[in-house]
Amino acid sequence: MSLQQGLETYLTELWGAPTTVANLARIPGGASRETYRFDALVDGRSRGLILRRDPPGGLLETDRRLEFLAFKTVHGHVPVPEAIALEEGDSALERPFFLMERVDGGVVPSPFVVLPYGDHAQALGEQFFATLGRLAALNHEGTPFREAAPEPALDDCWRVALDHWSDVIEADELHPQPIVRAAIRHLRRNPPPPAQRISIVHGDYRTGNFMHDGQGAILAILDWEMAHLGDPLEDLGWACDPLWNHFDDTRVGGMIAPDQALATWEAASGLTVDPAALAWWSLFNAVKGQAIWTSAAKAYRDGGFTDPVLAISGWYTARRHDLILADRLAALEAF
Amino acid sequence: MTPALSDILRGNFLSLAIPAPVESQGDFMTGKVAVIALLSLLAAQEAERGSQSRVWENAAIAALLRDAAATYGPDLLAVADTAAEDLSIPALDAANATLRRGLIALHEAVEAAGDLPRHRSIIALYGQMAQARRLDLPPLPAG
Repeated sequence: MSLQQGLETYLTELWGAPTTVANLARIPGGASRETYRFDALVDGRSRGLILRRDPPGGLLETDRRLEFLAFKTVHGHVPVPEAIALEEGDSALERPFFLMERVDGGVVPSPFVVLPYGDHAQALGEQFFATLGRLAALNHEGTPFREAAPEPALDDCWRVALDHWSDVIEADELHPQPIVRAAIRHLRRNPPPPAQRISIVHGDYRTGNFMHDGQGAILAILDWEMAHLGDPLEDLGWACDPLWNHFDDTRVGGMIAPDQALATWEAASGLTVDPAALAWWSLFNAVKGQAIWTSAAKAYRDGGFTDPVLAISGWYTARRHDLILADRLAALEAF
Repeated sequence: MTPALSDILRGNFLSLAIPAPVESQGDFMTGKVAVIALLSLLAAQEAERGSQSRVWENAAIAALLRDAAATYGPDLLAVADTAAEDLSIPALDAANATLRRGLIALHEAVEAAGDLPRHRSIIALYGQMAQARRLDLPPLPAG
């Protein structure tokens, strides 16, 4: 059965009405899930949908249920498409998947192009960090996300996160990496202050993971596959990582000055940015990045060298993060 | 450090040679070809600089290990004597792995001893290593 036929069968059963699928096409982006756009024709109308299906081997072992529940939880608070259905078995489309509404009319620039936002950079930067602040402030008690996301203690967020990503490096490393290992040891010796609150952390909140309309408005925050509960400074540090600055050292995400980004985030979140805590999470995020790229390199090899996105992640971005890590380590006063 | 240059070039061939299902043509294939093009450009840089950067890094780590041996033990001398069997990238990488493992062990010992001057010299070497291995993207316009 083709993917199109599988979708038609699934949606006909889901909606209890004959459904046909048209314009099915895989779209770029998302190394951890295969992403497809299509139109579902049901009851005389067309619905634009997105399919996110587990790949045979992906960049990260991420929890599709958590991603689906994150969409359900933040919808209405943060611009995201509406989640439609989650299928955790492999009978319908060979692998687990979920469906969501499609947001049309937007663009998602690559993080490795220059000046992607033109005259709208400032406006998009303000929205980008205000949105992240609202996510940090979101009350998640009793939400769908809490059905599946473990909640760390305030003073344990850093350890949970660092253990997770250092374990990834330990498991997937194919060549010794002294720079990231030095950073991990520094982070363990110098833990940050406890989190101010436990928030939903997007996990990959950065330029390249949001869609805008080309006129200065953010349409959707995408790729929630690494969402979890933790210290909201984790997302802030990742969003401000130099890897995502579009080769512009004066603006985070290629959009907005660093002090404006932090002030916008503070105003929207009601939280304050402790510079020492943010410094810890910034170094941590370079470690996290290197862990992701380490996994990408392993997945590229294990997958028979057929996914060029895994290649560029495991190679170019890994070397960028070695540079960032070395710079951050050199700036530290002590061990 | 991985994938190796040969992995990248082999992968570029496979990515283009394996037929894509009909739903993966169009925008997805356009994006895939763009990434393959970038990989080819970076592969040219690695072909030009890869051997030289590895030869330099291996020598730099070996020198640092030899310098530390008087304080941190003669075992470091044996590691520092690790030599690549030839100048191929796989041979240089094999030696590099041994040298890097020695460097990691030395750095851990330096931290445990509170030896700040040597810690700083190791951190400085990390910066040089990262610079020597850097890959440079051209300024790609959006859109």
